[in-house]
Amino acid sequence: MSGAFAFVVGTIPFLWQGLLMTLYVSAIVVVLSVVVGVVFGVLLAYGPWWARWPLRAYSDILRGTPLLVVIFTIYYLLPFAGLNLQPLPAVLLALVMFKTAHVSEIARGAIQSIPQGQTDAAKAIGLTFFQRLAYVILPQSVRRFLPPWINSVTDAVKGSSLVSLVGIVDLMLAAQQVIGRTYEPLPIYLLAAAIYFVINYSLSTLSRRLEARYAYIRE
Amino acid sequence: MTDRRNDEGAPRRSFLKLGALAAGAAVASTAAQKAAAQAAPASTLRAALDRGKLIVGTGSTNAPWHFEDEKGQLTGMDIAVARILARGLFDDPNKVEFVRQEPAARIPNLVTGKIDCVIQFMTVSPARAQLVNFSRPYYIEGVALLTSSKGKFKTHKELLDAGAGAKASVLQNVDAEKLVAKALPKAQVMQLDTQANAIQALDSGRADAAVIDLSTVGWLVKRNPDKYLDSGFHYETQLYSIAVRQNDHDWLKFIDTTLNVNMHGHQTDLYDQAFRDFFATEPPKRTPGFPNI
Repeated sequence: MSGAFAFVVGTIPFLWQGLLMTLYVSAIVVVLSVVVGVVFGVLLAYGPWWARWPLRAYSDILRGTPLLVVIFTIYYLLPFAGLNLQPLPAVLLALVMFKTAHVSEIARGAIQSIPQGQTDAAKAIGLTFFQRLAYVILPQSVRRFLPPWINSVTDAVKGSSLVSLVGIVDLMLAAQQVIGRTYEPLPIYLLAAAIYFVINYSLSTLSRRLEARYAYIRE
Repeated sequence: MTDRRNDEGAPRRSFLKLGALAAGAAVASTAAQKAAAQAAPASTLRAALDRGKLIVGTGSTNAPWHFEDEKGQLTGMDIAVARILARGLFDDPNKVEFVRQEPAARIPNLVTGKIDCVIQFMTVSPARAQLVNFSRPYYIEGVALLTSSKGKFKTHKELLDAGAGAKASVLQNVDAEKLVAKALPKAQVMQLDTQANAIQALDSGRADAAVIDLSTVGWLVKRNPDKYLDSGFHYETQLYSIAVRQNDHDWLKFIDTTLNVNMHGHQTDLYDQAFRDFFATEPPKRTPGFPNI
């Protein structure tokens, strides 16, 4: 048993670079998708029709398409339109586009869940549109935005393993590479699963704290 | 449709790069004309020489073909063949960039111009030859039965004699039952989703033999002689070749020539060393006289 333990410990350096890539991809996807997604969400809730309709179509098409298909479309189809992206930019673009579609819907839902009375009251005391958004609507929406958003963040971490399909060495491909050399699948897959669990468990713990903190704002 | 895509694969790559650099349409068109003058005809051979390195699509998860060694460097028979090509092009086996890809990405990455060639244990088949061009084979793969030194049956004869009492694990496939039956007509067949899991079944005592690639058997027995045995029965053959885009005669011809020189001619050192390292076998002796190639 100690031999198996030593073997698993010995594979950690090989997984390390892969883990960094997984964290890097996840961080970029989470940050960009929340920034763009919230803007899209606000536009979906309050925007003029010419902003709403294309965003509606974008969000519905992307949310209705498997992530794998989005990645392959950008990586293999865009070259025929004259845009031959390198693997990492291509897959980051696909993941961010996909995640943004989800986040924009979460944001729209959170904003529209705030009762109309709040807007009416804010108007009554003379707040402008952006003041109403910044001081009344968004602070209250955060509470409703957080739980589904954290779900989608853990999804992004797990979804980042799809980058290995275009040859980027993330945690998953690094694990497969060690298996390819050693033909010892079980201990390595268990180790990789444990690492994914640690990342996602930390995220959901963080989410519970955030939710507890924002719960104060309410009624 | 497919043919058209393949036609355009090679020139697109150089055009794209120039297109990205050029700000205006006028600049782009003069740059493209210059490139056309240099690289006529637009062969991948010329593109690779101008670039100064070869770009090869391969994998990183299958020993002994393409895998990371204990230092994290890509190595294996496919990698050695890529280095043979790089030496032929640049007189330097290290001028090669590896693009890691899944087996399913071999043809898409080639056709969309992301790589110069595929060297990734690619089995030659007439169906694939409709989409890509294959070089001469650089290896003939077979199938063999891996057994465990702790198992009940160690040799092919013992497995045969056991009849229906023997269990064989094999990679899931439409022809998997038939494949096992050719070696062990009465054995029970256990189909599993990966070759690694077929081996895992042998390790855990669920199977008496794993029916897997001959090269994998050689690799595992060489590395773990006290754990695994080769039952001694080898059968089936499949050709492994380098794949290139269609309609690029110069490139295909260059690859064939380089492989011939490295497998049969005066430069067999890299090929022979890889053969010894990865298949634990002595490469065949070459004899002057009638060319058996």
